[in-house]
Amino acid sequence: MLGTMFSNSLDNWFGLNAQRERLLKKVPEGPLKTFLSVPFPEHKRPISKVPMLALDFETSALEACEGHLLSMGYVSVENLSIHLGSAEHFLVKSQQQLSNDNVAIHQITSQESLSGLTLEQAVEKLLAALAGKVMLVHYAKVEQTFLAKACKTLYGYEPVYPIVDTLVVAKRRLDRRLLPYDPQDLRLTNLRDNYQLPSHYAHNALNDAVATAELLLAELAHHQQTANPLKDFLR
Amino acid sequence: MDNELSEIYAFVGSIAPFEQLPEETIVNIVSHISICYITAGQALPPQHIETPSFFIVRKGALNYVDQNGDLIGKYGEGDICTVFCYPEKYASISVTAEEDCLLYALDKQKLLGALITEPHIISFFEQSAEERLKNKVSSLQEEAVVNSTLTNTGVDQLYQSPAATINQHQSIAETAQKMTELGFSCLVVVDDENQVKGIVTDKDFRRRCITGGISPAQPISEIMTPDISMLDIRHTAFDALIAMTSRHIHHLPITDQGKLAGMLTITDLMHFEGQNAINLTSLIHKASSVDELAEISELIPKLQVKMARLGTPAEQVGKSISAITMAFTIRLIEIAEELYGKAPVPYAWVAAGSQARQEQMAQSDQDNALIIDDSMQPEHAPWFERLARFVCDGLAQCGFIHCPGNVMAMNEQWRQTESQWHQYFHDWIEKPSPKALMHCSIFFDLTTVHGDKQLLNRVQGKMLAKTQKASLFIAHLSKNALQFTPPLGFFRDFVLISNGKNKKTMDLKHNAIAPIVDLARIYALQEGITSVNTIERIRQAAGTRSITKDSAANLIDAFEFLTTLRLTHQANQLQAGDKADNFLSLKEISRLEREYLKDAFKVIKTLQDNRQSVY
Repeated sequence: MLGTMFSNSLDNWFGLNAQRERLLKKVPEGPLKTFLSVPFPEHKRPISKVPMLALDFETSALEACEGHLLSMGYVSVENLSIHLGSAEHFLVKSQQQLSNDNVAIHQITSQESLSGLTLEQAVEKLLAALAGKVMLVHYAKVEQTFLAKACKTLYGYEPVYPIVDTLVVAKRRLDRRLLPYDPQDLRLTNLRDNYQLPSHYAHNALNDAVATAELLLAELAHHQQTANPLKDFLR
Repeated sequence: MDNELSEIYAFVGSIAPFEQLPEETIVNIVSHISICYITAGQALPPQHIETPSFFIVRKGALNYVDQNGDLIGKYGEGDICTVFCYPEKYASISVTAEEDCLLYALDKQKLLGALITEPHIISFFEQSAEERLKNKVSSLQEEAVVNSTLTNTGVDQLYQSPAATINQHQSIAETAQKMTELGFSCLVVVDDENQVKGIVTDKDFRRRCITGGISPAQPISEIMTPDISMLDIRHTAFDALIAMTSRHIHHLPITDQGKLAGMLTITDLMHFEGQNAINLTSLIHKASSVDELAEISELIPKLQVKMARLGTPAEQVGKSISAITMAFTIRLIEIAEELYGKAPVPYAWVAAGSQARQEQMAQSDQDNALIIDDSMQPEHAPWFERLARFVCDGLAQCGFIHCPGNVMAMNEQWRQTESQWHQYFHDWIEKPSPKALMHCSIFFDLTTVHGDKQLLNRVQGKMLAKTQKASLFIAHLSKNALQFTPPLGFFRDFVLISNGKNKKTMDLKHNAIAPIVDLARIYALQEGITSVNTIERIRQAAGTRSITKDSAANLIDAFEFLTTLRLTHQANQLQAGDKADNFLSLKEISRLEREYLKDAFKVIKTLQDNRQSVY
């Protein structure tokens, strides 16, 4: 999978910016090229100084090959603050009929979905917001694979970018304790509860993006990691 | 749907003073929020917030500590920390997180910019506690909460007819003369066909004639207000109230089929409820037995609820209820005198405590005493004992329960001759033991209900002459009065008590109203003021060595706010069929009212501290 291909080890980090430059030469003019032309934050920079974009997708299925994007929400995190003024949320237009299950979970009906942005408009906006930043997500697989699929369709190439995954950050910490834990503990809601963060309305992309960013701030503050370098957190 | 932060909008929209702001303003405020997280023990502001900012506590708790390290406040979810925006107000306060906190930081300039169309909210942040309280109290006074009686009463039952008029061609001077003769503050201006052309009030003379430099020889039409609102006689009193309050007018000409029929004033509406109190008093005078009186007494809580709902100031309600209690007492004394014969020697039945101060509320207990003329002989004692027992028991039957502290005329200790009362006061003032001080706070507030007024006047006169010079006594009394202090503030749904403990309810009487009553009494004793009503005492003491004019005004505001809050609290209880008490649960009041309550605490605290530093 794309994620494991380039970001498993720290050594690959140098490869990531290098990959970005190699890819930049190949992709045609357009939003993806503009995105790739901005360098990623340096891996030695303290996490507190790294600009991040907390992101969440709502999708019609967990696998990118089976489903499509319903909505996206994101908000930027800088200087350990979540700037609500930068928050964006939009529905993505779909040609496919939504199943009733999906409507129940995301509360987005086919009717509403038609009023959203086209996939192309949505991805263009996202790439512009993400340029030069680190993607901050909880359980990156969904965002990563759906964004890869969309870019492949739209521009013929899949993008590269650095990711901080709050699920991975929490998992590494739990693994280090060498104690068994319930995989349920890694869910966003349960991790937030550990830090007494307020309950949030899940299944809305922007709410989940804000909730993910709050979780990272709490993680960093509790484990005194605000001065640690970005590379410690990359997945 | 390009933004979906509805939870955050709802949260911010529920915070005082943002309640009731339009949606777009809330959205604008939220767009300036930076969310940050600090762990327990960390100081505010967080390092990376460099500009002066407000901090809304989304989750967690903050402690405010003064330069001595004493806890002065605790803030929880939904509270706003303004300390770093107004350093001049909060110079010596340091703020730390007591629990891990999720904070919404709002840059001061950006927030104030977002609130540019809401100047009252900006002043909420910028004003001092005293200024805020003053504004709140004046808006309370303007507010007329409507009860069903107003909607059920026609204008025709309240208006004054005919309306006093003046011809439009008559001069300003002639108009002024007519108003003075009639004692009216307002005339309707008409033309030769008696058609309404306008209205002229005292204010117009000030504003348009004197200030506007118009000669008094000019016709009155020069300074009248034309295009006035009128109301048809078939409307309700409620319609009239709305018409007046929405246009900020106090006089409303009433028409019948288009013709001027009379005049209705805001005072007519205000007195309308007061008249019920008067009706009650006349019922009491006609009652011939204790049972009948007891039946009438059941109307008192209802009257209090009505007055509260109408927005009658607490001061006026207190006076009405006190007057009714007085009427009950007088009627009981009259019945007793019919039963036991005339008094053998002159005497005065005196009321103490809240009744004497004219601050009584329904269902309060009775405090009373007897001052008997010095010509009393031992054989007269049984008559007074019978009288006292009859009246005290009668009052109890009417809902004024026996005083738990036994401060009643039926207790022989408080049924004494004038000389003995002089002796009592002399002893209390000379030897201020704890018990003596307790008695002082009860018996310094006395008023004659029935009998020879001179008896109490002499006792009070002699006592006040002593207290003005008895600085040691005043010092003891002050110290005693300062035992009851207001709470520090609120934390979540708890009242934060100074010793660091939390309580679920706030004792409005002991921790807020009584401290003001006590302060007012001390000022009165120190300055030789004979009034016993708290507001009256403060007014008279204003500008003396006891209290400055500004502080006096602040203290009156605090008193009015607190007593109004109690009035509403008790009206809710009485209406629900519960017993009225003084324990306010924080859930009963809005977040904004909590802020005003804190402002009132601050005013009390400041004046208590002044007192402490004097002695």
